[in-house]
Amino acid sequence: MMKILRLKERAWTIGITILFLILGYWRASQLPRFGSYEIKTILLGVLPIALLAMGQSIIIIGGGINLALGPEAALINCITAKYANGSSFGKTLFIVLLGLLVSILVGAITGWIISTSGIADIVVTLATSFIIIGLSMFILPNPGGGANGDFAHLISGKGNSFLPPLLTFLIPYLFIWLPLYRSRSGIAMFAMGSSQDAAFLSGVDVKRTRIKLYAVGGLFAGLSGVTLTCITLSASAIATISTTATLNSVAAAVLGGIALTGGVGGLLGPALASLVIYFIPVIMLGYGIDPAYSQMIQGALTVLVVMAGGFLRERTKRSA
Amino acid sequence: MNAVRDYLKNRVSRSIWALLGILILLYVITGLVDHFFFTIPSIGVTLQLAAPLAIFGAAQTIVMLTGGIDLSLAMIATGAAFFVSVKSSSGLGIGLLWSLGFCLLIGAINGIAIGVLKVNPLIMTLGMSSILIGFFSVGVSTFLKGSSSVPQFLITLSSGTIVNPISWPLIVWIVISIMVLYLLSRTGLGRLIYAVGDNARAARLAGVKVWRVQLAAYILCALLAGVGGIMLGGQSGAVAISLASSYLLPSVAAVVIGGTSIMGGMGGYTGSILGALILACLSYLLATLNSSEAVKQMVYGAIVLALAWTYARISAKSK
Repeated sequence: MMKILRLKERAWTIGITILFLILGYWRASQLPRFGSYEIKTILLGVLPIALLAMGQSIIIIGGGINLALGPEAALINCITAKYANGSSFGKTLFIVLLGLLVSILVGAITGWIISTSGIADIVVTLATSFIIIGLSMFILPNPGGGANGDFAHLISGKGNSFLPPLLTFLIPYLFIWLPLYRSRSGIAMFAMGSSQDAAFLSGVDVKRTRIKLYAVGGLFAGLSGVTLTCITLSASAIATISTTATLNSVAAAVLGGIALTGGVGGLLGPALASLVIYFIPVIMLGYGIDPAYSQMIQGALTVLVVMAGGFLRERTKRSA
Repeated sequence: MNAVRDYLKNRVSRSIWALLGILILLYVITGLVDHFFFTIPSIGVTLQLAAPLAIFGAAQTIVMLTGGIDLSLAMIATGAAFFVSVKSSSGLGIGLLWSLGFCLLIGAINGIAIGVLKVNPLIMTLGMSSILIGFFSVGVSTFLKGSSSVPQFLITLSSGTIVNPISWPLIVWIVISIMVLYLLSRTGLGRLIYAVGDNARAARLAGVKVWRVQLAAYILCALLAGVGGIMLGGQSGAVAISLASSYLLPSVAAVVIGGTSIMGGMGGYTGSILGALILACLSYLLATLNSSEAVKQMVYGAIVLALAWTYARISAKSK
């Protein structure tokens, strides 16, 4: 049984990788030349949403969902862009670390509220999304802000090099996700996602694990916000953008093989899926097609993928 | 008279009384801040503005009772308003028919995908919302090109006052409320909606065609969303793609505050009506406080959370 699950999980990641390669090749063939700079542009375009999707995936694997994750990224975007505007390298670094701390805190508080109140996660995060959007609008009433140029280059890369954005993507994966995945909390996370009651009965501290997961999810949202600051050197607290970001993060998680019921998946799939989601409108724009169509295709693709995933799961269940 | 007393005793739970208390409290506070709120015209306007939210609440209540959720509700509403406003150039009836067909189609697609193909409701309706946003973004400049103004008859029906504080939208809302309350408590389909939401597996084993119930629920939801959307279009006079998007989260909030469980099977429309009225009161209060949009958002979110929390406490105790 375990083997089948593993195999299926891998098949999913392979499938999404193939889809990514096809779209990537397609996109590359559209460009007059495809080199380091073009790769960098693609990476920078997808980085914020990929990080957000990874954060959302961690929470979904643990059996929850956070509809306030996009607003959370926007909040950190606003905080860092506002206070790091025109500051030195050191001060920018300090503010970025502070912003990440805030993101962890916001996530932890969300997790705590869900655990303590016993209200459904969708409802809690729906309400907190209002609060966080309000907070970002309060901090940064008008779009603007900035960051130290040298610090921004650490993430967005100077010149043609695509290494910095690639590292910004790999470092959280290697140093946050993998340790979490291998730790006791990681096992608790998968157990909780599969069945909260069973996890509780086998001694998992459900409340603490949930707070931890939401905090790590929040940290990924914070990273997404920081990269947004470094890439765009500005911030805006517009509600619709952050809501769309949340929806995209859920879509990428699902497309990346995370079961919404929890307990299944890794972070590589969602990261590749966010690339796929990024490629669709860009490729269509390359053909001069209204990007609005790409929204339709993305929506339909997400639904179809979930449908296919559901069928696969149903069949594995029956054969087991 | 006995029947009424019976109804109050058995059907109306403690939590509904608590909600009523919160509503009255909020009403008095708002009135103390702004004395105009105690006047009849002001009540009329508030009820009129609460009507679309309450109708969206009805739509959301029905699907949430089955254990689902409809996040494409706002776009269905906007779409219905679009069809009415554009296609009515060749007659009001034709515009309404287009809207009706659109709502039936989208509701049926949602229902079949969720009921038969077992797609998670959250993802299905999220995807549907995305599809519809794309569809109408393209549509406004191609096949839905034309006047985006709503026919006069519908404007009257959505914002015309009869005798203060009674207005046409209030009448529409009351009619819909009676129908929904009757549907949920007195009809077979209503009972099945609760049964499916409470335990879909048990319902199936008891011989209920679960997918049919879900299909019916999503179609009803889409139809109600359409009515709310047309009303909203009538109130604002013209239709834009963002017409109903700010109503999506409040529609869920109204239902949740009203005590319907997001897991399904528990709650009812009475609570959602009170939830919608509480939110309408709250919007009025925040508007009079002359606070910035940022503060408004924060207070709105915090109060929704606090109400949901209080409600969870009350219902946990009364068990």
